[in-house]
Amino acid sequence: MKINRRKILSLLGISPAVLAASSPAIGEPKHSPKNPSIKDIKLEVVNPKGLPPPIQLIPMAPRLPSLDGKTIYLVSDGFAGADRFLNQIAIWFQKNMPSVKTVYRLKAGSYFDDDPKLMAEMKANGNAMIMAYGH
Amino acid sequence: MGLPTAPLVTIAFKDLAKTNAANRGMPGERICFLPHPMTNKTDAEMYAVLEGNDPVTGKPLMPEIIDALTKPLTAEEKKSGTVTPDIGPATYVDTPDNLQRIFLDNNMTDFMPIILPTEEKVEAMLKGTSHKPDEVIGTLSAARGAQPSWSFTVRHVAINAVMAGAQPEYLPTILAIASTGQPALFSSTSSFSRMLLLNGPISDKIKMNYGIGAMGPFAEPNAVIGRAWTILSKNLGGCGMPGLSYMGSLGTNFNYNNICIAETENKLPDGWNPFHVQKGFKPTDSVVSIFSGWSLNNVAWFPNMPYHELINNWLTHFFSFGTGAATLLLDPTVAREAKGKGFDSKEALSDYWSKNSKTPAWLYWDTHQPLLKQAQAGVEPYASYLKMGDADIPFQRYYRRGRFGAPPNPNAQPDANPKSSIEIIVLGGETNTYWAGGDFSHVTSVSIDKWV
Repeated sequence: MKINRRKILSLLGISPAVLAASSPAIGEPKHSPKNPSIKDIKLEVVNPKGLPPPIQLIPMAPRLPSLDGKTIYLVSDGFAGADRFLNQIAIWFQKNMPSVKTVYRLKAGSYFDDDPKLMAEMKANGNAMIMAYGH
Repeated sequence: MGLPTAPLVTIAFKDLAKTNAANRGMPGERICFLPHPMTNKTDAEMYAVLEGNDPVTGKPLMPEIIDALTKPLTAEEKKSGTVTPDIGPATYVDTPDNLQRIFLDNNMTDFMPIILPTEEKVEAMLKGTSHKPDEVIGTLSAARGAQPSWSFTVRHVAINAVMAGAQPEYLPTILAIASTGQPALFSSTSSFSRMLLLNGPISDKIKMNYGIGAMGPFAEPNAVIGRAWTILSKNLGGCGMPGLSYMGSLGTNFNYNNICIAETENKLPDGWNPFHVQKGFKPTDSVVSIFSGWSLNNVAWFPNMPYHELINNWLTHFFSFGTGAATLLLDPTVAREAKGKGFDSKEALSDYWSKNSKTPAWLYWDTHQPLLKQAQAGVEPYASYLKMGDADIPFQRYYRRGRFGAPPNPNAQPDANPKSSIEIIVLGGETNTYWAGGDFSHVTSVSIDKWV
C-alpha cells in the first residue's frame, strides 16, 4: 500500500514544509539544540476553563448551649426511607433526652429546592434542625 | 437561616457533600455521616446506626450530632467574605506531550488525546461565528440549583471546540448546544445519557452522516460535535468530576459522544415532518435538539406482524430508569412501512403507540404501590387490574404527565387530551428494516442559525 506521507503529516497538524525546512543536515545530531525534535518544541496553549462563581462565605448559625427543653426539627429531603430514619432519631431522643421535643417535616420540592415556608416555620418555632439524608 | 443544623449524609456522598458545603460558603459545615445505603434498612437496623459510629470520623454518631448543634463555633466557622475559586493559569507552556498530560491530569478532557488549543487555532475557530469572542453565552451546571453555575463566553466554547477537533463550521452548532445551559454530564447517580439531533440545512452543510451507520463513528461532525459537548461540560460547567459533580454509579459510554445524529430528512415518508418542524421551526431552519435518557435497544428482529405492532409490544415491555417516555429511531424502511399501514404523520404513529401500549403487571404495581391497597379494597379500576394477574395492565404510560407520587402542582390544569411522550426520529441507510428505541425524552430544541 502506498503511504501518502504528506496527507499523514497534514492529519497530524504538521506542515510538510516545516519538516522539510527543519531536517537536520548530514552529520548533525538528530536532536541537537539547533534542531530540536517536534516533541521538544514548547507550545503555549490557553486554559479552557469557564468562570466559576465567586463563593460568599456564610458565618454558621450560633450553636445552642444545650439541647435541654429545645425543639429540633427533623427534616427529610425526600429520599426513600429518610422519614423512617428520622423517626428513629425521634425515638432515640425520647429514650435518651426526653426533654427534647422533635417535629418531623418533609421538605417540599426536589432535594435541591428551597422550601421558604418550612424555613420560616422552623425559624419561628424551632431551635435546631437535623436533616437527612442521601440514598 | 440562623438555625444550628446537623446535616446527615450517607458516606457515598462524602466528597460531594463537603465540596457542596464549601461551594455554598460553609466549608466547615458540621456534616455527620451514615453508612450507605440507608434506603433498604429496617427500622431496627436504622436505630442500630444511631447507636453506632460515624463511618468517616469513627466517633459515636448521636453524640456527634448533638455536638454539631451545641459545640461553640470556631473562628473559621464564623468567617464571612468572598473567595474566588482557582481555575489555574491563563495559559500553559510546555511540550505537546506534557501539555496533553496536563490537560488529562486536570480532568479537562474526555481522556482521549485532544487538539491543543493554541491561540492560533482558537482564532481560526472563532472565524466560524460572527459573534464576538467575549460575548457571555450563559451558565452551565452539573445540576442546576445543587451545583454551582459557571458562566462562559463564545471564546471559551471555541477553545473547547478546538480541543474536541472541531472545524470552524461546526462552531455555530456547538455554540447553540452550549447556549441551552444543558450539561452533557449530569451529576445524578443514575448515569444519564444525552442525545443530540441536528435538523435542517446544517446537516448537509457540515456533512453529517445520516445514512449507513448514522449512529456510528463514520463522519467527522457526528464524532466531533458530540465530543465537544462533553469536553465543554467539564470545562465550562465544572461537570464530570466523579464523586464531586458526577455521581453516576455505572456511568455510560454514551457520554463520550452523546449520540450525535442527524435526521434523514430526504427519506421521510410523505406527510412526515422533520423533528424540528414538529417542534415549531421552519424546514429551512437549522436546529439542534437535546434529548435526555439512559438507554437504547437496537432491535434487529423480523416479525410476522407489522413493525408498528412489534414496536407497540416493545413499548409495553420496555423499562429502565425512565418508564414514562420513549424515543424511537426508525430506519427509513420502517418509517415507510408504517406510512403504508396508514400512519400519515409521526404524530399519528406516536398517538397510536401511546393509546395502545400497556404496562406489565409487575411494573404497574411496583410504580403504583399506594393503589395496591385500593385494589385490594375493591376500588375500580384497580381491583380489576389486580384480577388480571400477570397480564399486561391497560394503563398507558407514554403520556406527558407528572411522576406518580410526586407532589401535586397547584398550577396544573386537568388535561383532557394529554400529549404522547413518544418521539420519532427517522435515520439510517436502508440496509435493513431495523430500529432502535429507548427511554429518551426531548429536552429542548434551539436555533443554530442564530450562532452563525
